[in-house]
Amino acid sequence: MALLIIIFSLVAATIICLVSKNVRSMVLASTAAFGISAASASLIADKVARHGDYAPFRFVQINSLTAIVLLLIMIVGFFSAIYAYPYLAEEANKKIIGRTRTKQLFILLNVFMLLLVMAVTASYPILSWVFLESTTLAGAFLISFYNKPSTIEAAWKYLIINSVGLLLAFFGTLLFITNLPGSVSNGFVTWSILGSFAPHFNTVITKVAFIFILIGYGTKVGLAPMHTWKPDAYSKAPAPIGAVFSGALMPVALVIILKFRVITDVAVGTSFSQHLLIAFGLLSVIVAALSFITVVNYKRMLGYSSIEQAGLITLGFGFGGIGRYAAILQIIYHSLIKSSLFFTSGNFLLKFHSSKIKVVRGALSALPISAGLFLVGLLAVAGLPPFGIFISEIMTISSGLKHYIAYALVAMVFIVIAFIGLFKQASSLTLGEKPKDIKAGEGSRWLLFPPLAILGLALVLGFYMPPFLHTLIRQAVVSQ
Amino acid sequence: MLKIHFFQVTVSVVFLSSIYFHLAKRNIRISMVYGLQSAGVVALLFYSYLQKGSPLILVVVLATLAVKVIIAPTFFIRLINRHKFKFAVDPHVKMALGLAIIGLISGLVTLHIFSPLTTIIPANQTYLTLALASMLISVFLIANHKDALSQIVGILSLENSIVVFAIFAGLDQSSILDLGILFDIFVWLFVAIAFISMMYRHIGSIDVTRMKRLKD
Repeated sequence: MALLIIIFSLVAATIICLVSKNVRSMVLASTAAFGISAASASLIADKVARHGDYAPFRFVQINSLTAIVLLLIMIVGFFSAIYAYPYLAEEANKKIIGRTRTKQLFILLNVFMLLLVMAVTASYPILSWVFLESTTLAGAFLISFYNKPSTIEAAWKYLIINSVGLLLAFFGTLLFITNLPGSVSNGFVTWSILGSFAPHFNTVITKVAFIFILIGYGTKVGLAPMHTWKPDAYSKAPAPIGAVFSGALMPVALVIILKFRVITDVAVGTSFSQHLLIAFGLLSVIVAALSFITVVNYKRMLGYSSIEQAGLITLGFGFGGIGRYAAILQIIYHSLIKSSLFFTSGNFLLKFHSSKIKVVRGALSALPISAGLFLVGLLAVAGLPPFGIFISEIMTISSGLKHYIAYALVAMVFIVIAFIGLFKQASSLTLGEKPKDIKAGEGSRWLLFPPLAILGLALVLGFYMPPFLHTLIRQAVVSQ
Repeated sequence: MLKIHFFQVTVSVVFLSSIYFHLAKRNIRISMVYGLQSAGVVALLFYSYLQKGSPLILVVVLATLAVKVIIAPTFFIRLINRHKFKFAVDPHVKMALGLAIIGLISGLVTLHIFSPLTTIIPANQTYLTLALASMLISVFLIANHKDALSQIVGILSLENSIVVFAIFAGLDQSSILDLGILFDIFVWLFVAIAFISMMYRHIGSIDVTRMKRLKD
C-alpha cells in the first residue's frame, strides 16, 4: 500500500503539472507528492526493518538496502522540489528562463523520481534496466533544460555515454540469463530466481556478465573511467537537478550493481567481485582527487566530488567486512550532504552569475548563510569530523588495511589529496573580498531552508541513527 | 541447409554493415545500410517467430520492421536532406588505421579468451563470434566518429548486434529480450532523433568535435 501511495502521488503530481496552468499548484502538488512519498518510504523502511523483505506485488521486492535508498530518493526529491520553485523564480526574474519552464522542470523531475523508485524496487532485473534507461532519457532533457549550446553538449555526452553503458548492462543481464535452464529463461526472470540458480551458473560466463554489469551500471554511478559525463552534466543541469542526480540517481544504480554482485558471489566466490570493485573504486578516488587541484568550476568540482564518493562507497563494498557498513553509511551521508551542496551552489550562481571559481570570491561576505552552509558541506564531504563521512571513511580504510593494505594506503593518500584540493577551492570561493559589483545579502529564505534542513539532517544522523535505520543498515550489511 | 544459409546471410549482413558504417562517406548511405542491418535482425526474429509461434515475438518483429527498417532510416534521410549535411565528418583515426583496428577486433574475438561467450551454444559459435565482433566494432564506431548521426547509428548497431547475439545464445524466446528491444525502439530512438535536431539548431552542426563549451 505504501509503495502504491508513492507511485500514485508522483503520477498524480505529474498529471497536475501537465494539465494545470498555475505554477503554484504545480509546485504544491509536486512538493506534497514528495512529502507524502517520503512519509510512505519511512513506513516501508520501518516495515522492512521489522519484518524483512517487503514484496507487496509480483513486480516489487524491497530489501533493506532498497528501503534505505528509497527513503533517500524521497528525501532528496522533497527538498529538491521545495528548492526548485524559488530557484526557478529567481532565474525567471533575471530573464535566464521563461516563466513557463517551471512546468517542464517539475514534470521531468516527477517522472525522473518515479522512474528511480520503479528501478530500485523492481523485482525483475530487466525492469530495473528499463526504468533506469528511462531515467537516462528524462535526465537528458533535464540537463539540456536551459537550451543553450553548452547544455545541449552536456546532455548529448550524457545521452551517448550512458546509452552505451546501459546497452552493455543489458548485454550483461542477458548473459546472466543464458545461465538459466531454457524453461526458466523464457519468462520474466526475477532477482530471486537468478539467486536461486546462481550455484549452478557457468562461472566464466557469470564473471564476464558481471564485468559488463559493472561497466554498464558503473557508467550511471559515475565510476572512473566511465565518469566523463558527470562533471559536464552536473555543471550544466539546474542546481536542484544536480542534487537529484547525485543524491538519488547514483545510489539507485549502485544498488542494482550490488544485486548482481550478490548473485555473482554465489556463483563464483567473493574475491572476483571484490577485486573489481576495489579497482574501479580506487581509480575513481584517484581521478577525482587529482581533478580537485585543477578544477576551475565549482559545479564541476561537485561532480568530481561525487565521483570520489562513488569510488569510496565502491571501495567499502570491495574491502568487505566493516567496509560494507561504512559504504552504506557513506551512501546516506553523501546523498544528503551533496544535495545541500548543490542547493547552495545554486545560490552562488544566482548571486555571482557564474560557476567559475575565479569569479566567485568572498562568498562569505556576499552570501553569509549560503557560503557558510557550502563551506560546512564541502568540509563534511571531504571527511572532516564531526560529520559522518569522517567515520565512514575511517571505517573503510581500516577494513582495507586488514586484507588489502596497499590499496588502502593508496586510497588514504588520495583521500588526503582530495581533502587538500577541496579545502583550497573552498577557501578560494568563500574567503577574501567580494567583487565590488556584487551586493551582499541572501535571496529568498526558501532558497536557504532546503540546504540548511538537509545538511542538518546529515549532521544529526552523524550522531544519532534512528533504530529502524540502524537495523536496516545492519540487515543490508549481512545481505551484501 | 537452407536454414544455415539463411543464418549465414543475415549474420553477415549485420556484421558487414557494422564495418560499412566506418567506411561510408555519405550519411544517407549510413542510414540506408542501418535499415538493411535492421532488416537482417527482423528476418532472424521472424524466423524465431515461425519456429516458436510466440505472439510477443511477432509484435517485436512488426515494431522493429516499422520503426528500425522503415521509419528511422527515412527520418534520418529527411533530416540529412533538410539540413544538407551530405558528407560524414572525418573519424578520429584515419581510414587505414581504423580498418586495422576493425581487423584486430575481428581477430581478437576468435581467441580462446572469448570462447566462453562464443560457445554458449557450441553449434552457433560462428554466429556468436560474428555478433560479438559486430558489437565491439559498433562501440569503436561510437568512439571513433565525430558526427552525431554516426554515434547514434553506432548505438543502434550495437543494439542490433546484442539482439543477434541473444538470438544465437538461445534467448530468442526470452521475454527479457523482447522487452529490451521494444523499449529501445519506442523510447531511445525518438529521444536520440530529437536531440540531433536540437543539436543542429543550437550548434549549427552535427560534428561533435565542435562541442568545446565544456572545458571549464
